[in-house]
Amino acid sequence: MLGKLKTGEKGRIMNIASADKFVRRRLLDLGIAEGSEVCVKCILPFGGPVMVESCGQCIGIRRKEALRIEVERV
Amino acid sequence: MMNIALIGNPNTGKTSLFNNLTGSYEYVGNWSGVTVEKKVGIFKNGKDQLIDLPGVYTLNPLSKDEGVVTNFFLNEPFEKLLNILDASQLRRNLHLTLQLLEYGAPVIIGLNMLDVAKNRGIQIDIAKLSESLGVNVAPVVARSGKGCDELAELVTAGAVGTGKNNLVYYGKAIEAGILELENKLAGKIKHPVRWLALQLFEGNPYVKNYLETILPIEEIEKLINSVTVDQQQNADSKQALDQVIHRKRSEAIDKIVSAATTKQENKKVPLTEKVDMVVTNKFLGIPIFLVLMYVMFMLTFDWLGFPLSDALDSFLSGPLTSGITAALAAAGASTFIKDLILDGIVAGVGGVLVFVPQIFILFFFISLLEDSGYMARVALVMDRLMESVGLNGKAFIPMMIGFGCNVPGIMAARTIETPKERLMTILLTPLMSCSARLPVYALFVGAFFVEQKAAVVLSLYVLGVVIALILAKVFSKTLLKGETSVFVIELPPYRLPQARALWRSTWDKGKGFVKKAGTFIFAGSVLIWLLAYAGPEGVNVSMDDSYLALLGGIFAPLFAPIGFGTWQASASLFTGFLAKEAIISTMNIIYFVPDEASLQGLLAAHYTPLAAYSFMAFILLYIPCLATVATIYKETGSRRWTAFSIAYALVIAYVLSLVIYQGGRLLGLT
Repeated sequence: MLGKLKTGEKGRIMNIASADKFVRRRLLDLGIAEGSEVCVKCILPFGGPVMVESCGQCIGIRRKEALRIEVERV
Repeated sequence: MMNIALIGNPNTGKTSLFNNLTGSYEYVGNWSGVTVEKKVGIFKNGKDQLIDLPGVYTLNPLSKDEGVVTNFFLNEPFEKLLNILDASQLRRNLHLTLQLLEYGAPVIIGLNMLDVAKNRGIQIDIAKLSESLGVNVAPVVARSGKGCDELAELVTAGAVGTGKNNLVYYGKAIEAGILELENKLAGKIKHPVRWLALQLFEGNPYVKNYLETILPIEEIEKLINSVTVDQQQNADSKQALDQVIHRKRSEAIDKIVSAATTKQENKKVPLTEKVDMVVTNKFLGIPIFLVLMYVMFMLTFDWLGFPLSDALDSFLSGPLTSGITAALAAAGASTFIKDLILDGIVAGVGGVLVFVPQIFILFFFISLLEDSGYMARVALVMDRLMESVGLNGKAFIPMMIGFGCNVPGIMAARTIETPKERLMTILLTPLMSCSARLPVYALFVGAFFVEQKAAVVLSLYVLGVVIALILAKVFSKTLLKGETSVFVIELPPYRLPQARALWRSTWDKGKGFVKKAGTFIFAGSVLIWLLAYAGPEGVNVSMDDSYLALLGGIFAPLFAPIGFGTWQASASLFTGFLAKEAIISTMNIIYFVPDEASLQGLLAAHYTPLAAYSFMAFILLYIPCLATVATIYKETGSRRWTAFSIAYALVIAYVLSLVIYQGGRLLGLT
């Protein structure tokens, strides 16, 4: 799960289907979908959002959404 | 004359380009969603119109500002499209371009941020890109204006090609669906059917509504269903239509991009990431934000702003006033005119203008936050806190902008995707202490809290934020239940703010304040002075017998329990509804003093420090100003919510001031 990666770890998105419909659509708009390589840049405290980099752009999503996105470590 | 629409992904520099092409000035910033409404400018050739649209990733909208673009395509006439692309994110940007090509209007592409792409090791073959899309592609640097003249030539000159509208083959089922819709609509509409069909299959609600005005709903639903079923049978997969369409576009884009770009591995860590390691750091993120805010307030109110305002005050009350007095005497003006100008206009307008330096400093910092890219990080850092009260981090951006002026703050709430969170943000943004409230604080802290000026003012700003957060929690538990909150934010690379852009952005925000002083406050000052000059017993009466005193006196007893039951206070609160800084004008006129310093001396006789703090807290919360109320109405489209925004603010303000004043007295404060 993307939410389980530690800062600096990289992964490839395997399955995004269980994320919130809206989050999925926005990630798709930003070019992040199954097969995209992502890297966790920063995790905010108290269960706050995670900052993820993909193809040179950074986005922030909530931890609970990140926990619904399946990734494999690379 | 031609109408040319400027369109592109969020934060690709559309508005910068718009400003450079039209020579006008619109609001720019480094975060997604700066432009929430379309804006029209005239090209430097003086003929053609350029229309700046909000940034969108696709024509299928999720939020209200994105809907503006879809509506534009459905309902408004235009001749050409100018599509601006971020060269460093070509793949994502081309999704929109493909949809524009499907629409079939003439398109020209401006390729921006080639430098960012280069830093990332991406080289783009512009000729090849142009060839594969079938449209002209011109490189530009939107921020500096390089290449803009050539682009303007290209766009405004005669004929422009429409590009290739069949770059993507969507598979048998969808293509058949497009044909079927074409048959149904034959001759009934002017919009390109291929585009309409694809948007419909993608689930674009605006396009669906539009088609429902032409075809029966059942027929549309039937078409979507049959295409979905065909598609799933053909491809033997459960993918929804929008996913299929997106995938097909991605495949086409991959081909185009790999033919037109070369990429070298670049191992250098970009500066943006280094900065982000610090400012969004687990432990440092929030403290850094608070320290930045503190420095901003100290500079505005203490270190820099205060001495500047003081200097301006002594100029206005010294040389300027005596100059006007001498001029009036030389012109042989009557006592009435002299009093009107000196005690009415100079006191009223001058009293507000004194605060121009402080307001510009504040606006400068807000512009700096917006232009650098830090704003989106603030939203990220604050999301956890905002989530706990039922909002999301993005709501923090309208609130920060609200510190400058509530009106653009409320407009900025359009970028918030869920209607419930957007409404809450609209309702709560007026609690952010805007720059027009700043003069009131500056005046009162100067009179009562000389030692802790910045701290007292900061406490009011914090009070506004805390009340907003508490109310957000209350509203989301009571009035606005349901609907899950979501948060996805793009974090743009940092940019070193440019002096020119910063100054323009600061001036653009600040000029509104100066303009208001020259119009609204000017007229208000004349009116207030006349009300104070005349009374039931005639003109030139003692102030306590004037109409103003009469009006203020009716409501004064209401305010006695919260510490300021004088007719002067209630009269100024009335004018404060028109514009918050009018409170200062009114007081200057009522207390009949030449400058800020002597007004502060006089105030000490009418207020205790505790009452002064209670008054400031009341001003902070009591009512959104007239312009803000109008914006709330425009944005919510609801009289009920607009009335609610006024009513709840009044109640909260009264209760809080009561607690401050009576509580303070119980604790033995004065």
